[in-house]
Amino acid sequence: MSGEAPATRGAADAAGTARGMALECRAVGFSYEEAQAPIPALRDVSFALAGGRSLALLGASGSGKSTLLQIVRGLDAPEAGAVLLDGVGAAQAAGAGAGAAGGAGGTGEAGYAALQKQVGLVFQTPELQLFASSAREDVAFGPSRLGWPDDEVAAAVEEALELVGLPPERFGDRHPYALSGGEQRRLALAGVLAMRPRLLLLDEPFVSLDPATRRELARILSRLRADGVTLVLATHDVDLAWSLCDELLMLDAGRVAAAGPWDLGAAGRELLAASRLREPFLVELWRRLGRDPREAPRTYAEAAEALA
Amino acid sequence: MTARDGSAAPAGTGPRPAGAAAPLIEVRGLRYLYPGAAGEALAGLDLTIGAGEFVAVVGANGSGKSTLARLLGGLENPGAADLAVVCGHDLLDAEGRMAARRDVGVLFQNPENQLVAECVEDDVAFGLENLRWTPEDMRARVDEMLARFGLAELRRREPHLLSGGQKQRTALAGVLAVPRRALVLDEPTAMLDPAGRAEVLQAACELRDEGLAIVYVTQEMDEVMAADRAVALDAGTVVYEGDVPGLFRDAALVRRLGLGLPAAGEVALELGSRGRAFAVLPLTADELLAALGEAT
Repeated sequence: MSGEAPATRGAADAAGTARGMALECRAVGFSYEEAQAPIPALRDVSFALAGGRSLALLGASGSGKSTLLQIVRGLDAPEAGAVLLDGVGAAQAAGAGAGAAGGAGGTGEAGYAALQKQVGLVFQTPELQLFASSAREDVAFGPSRLGWPDDEVAAAVEEALELVGLPPERFGDRHPYALSGGEQRRLALAGVLAMRPRLLLLDEPFVSLDPATRRELARILSRLRADGVTLVLATHDVDLAWSLCDELLMLDAGRVAAAGPWDLGAAGRELLAASRLREPFLVELWRRLGRDPREAPRTYAEAAEALA
Repeated sequence: MTARDGSAAPAGTGPRPAGAAAPLIEVRGLRYLYPGAAGEALAGLDLTIGAGEFVAVVGANGSGKSTLARLLGGLENPGAADLAVVCGHDLLDAEGRMAARRDVGVLFQNPENQLVAECVEDDVAFGLENLRWTPEDMRARVDEMLARFGLAELRRREPHLLSGGQKQRTALAGVLAVPRRALVLDEPTAMLDPAGRAEVLQAACELRDEGLAIVYVTQEMDEVMAADRAVALDAGTVVYEGDVPGLFRDAALVRRLGLGLPAAGEVALELGSRGRAFAVLPLTADELLAALGEAT
């Protein structure tokens, strides 16, 4: 596999910190302004995700998933509550909890800002933001802005291109617009991975990819997960969420409808339906086979293994 | 065969008879080359679709699906074709393309690019305004569309404040406010939650039953199962045309085209590679359960 070389290089662990960043939201609230009245987007959202765990962020269109990702990434400040990265909150955030957390080390503000640089967000249809005249240049933009030395930027770019299956010797000099849609999506992902995030947020990363490219992207995410990167995956695709994520956070009209391990019983199924979702196919299959849905396999291969 | 004339249908035309056999879409040797591109996006494509027929178009990213969608909607000038007629309009002719745009609704995957007005109901009315419908007819039609797509309560909402699913329903309501004879949907559910997907798929099936020709481009293999026929593209040509199970049961073709199977089919395929062969590959949960029941 093309991704073996960077893993042995161990560059991602150079900082000596745990690879996966812990994430916690405490009573986060946010609204969008509209002419008549503000539209609440998030209300009292609290959850915790340990470093290295993967979280499926589920919910109907408009339930607040993208808003939450933007707030965790620091692109919007919460109106209420706080986001804690490795236990550190932004000092200026409202709420006693945030103040206590931010003040714990006496370096809340600076520490939080530094931690924010280790959070990567891959937007919906990120290929729309490709802008440079070569793949290499596009991927280098993020790490350059972090002020890394040139040789480290160059190494990170090569590593990220390898990781997403766009070998730099073949793709590095290609114009982003000369790539296929699936290659553009992977290039945009490389632009985020080059900054070596410890917490990676993905907003509907599988949308409009063909099935083969989806499988490839799922393999990349599995690999990041195995490397210990904390993942938050906002998606409508419950089957991919089931195959990739340890836990779920379900939002309903901006509120937490469920958080924690997947509930594979009748209540969980009802909750999914209420959020315009359905239960994962393999869970449904296990239930209909009369097997314990809590033991449902995560992948088609595991399912076949159990059934063969 | 009852060929329709090419004149625009009068405003307020009711549902068309279903099952009419006349092809509404007929292209042969259709070609398209993007300026500066190395190869043709469409390289001699043949396709015939009748009224009341729902055809799913599949293929890897870059196989030509979206280019085909734009051409069928009269939005681009074909590079060349032996024949390119949609709803009786010649796509090789500028006037024909303009007329095709009136009869063929096109819905893209990203509704952001399709919403133009300052609120939902104005957006739905936009096409009708351009066609100079009377205010009374327009109001009635807009109300009908808002109700059909569950948008009545959002009628004054600014489009940028809608969720993805709400935006796509608004765009679809706008496309269909103008009475259409064919509908081209280019990954219309890509941004939607499962329930939103089901709604759009259901709407497409209903419109097929009302006699529209439906061209449904998708990457969702489960959605393909709803179509009457599947067309698979590779490098701008049709490499499969036929019934949907026939496509999915050609495992070599499915892999070569970068496609997948519906989830049940994927499990069955994995079982096959572990020595558990099926006489006929199951493609739905029911088929898989039945096959597993027989085998045990």
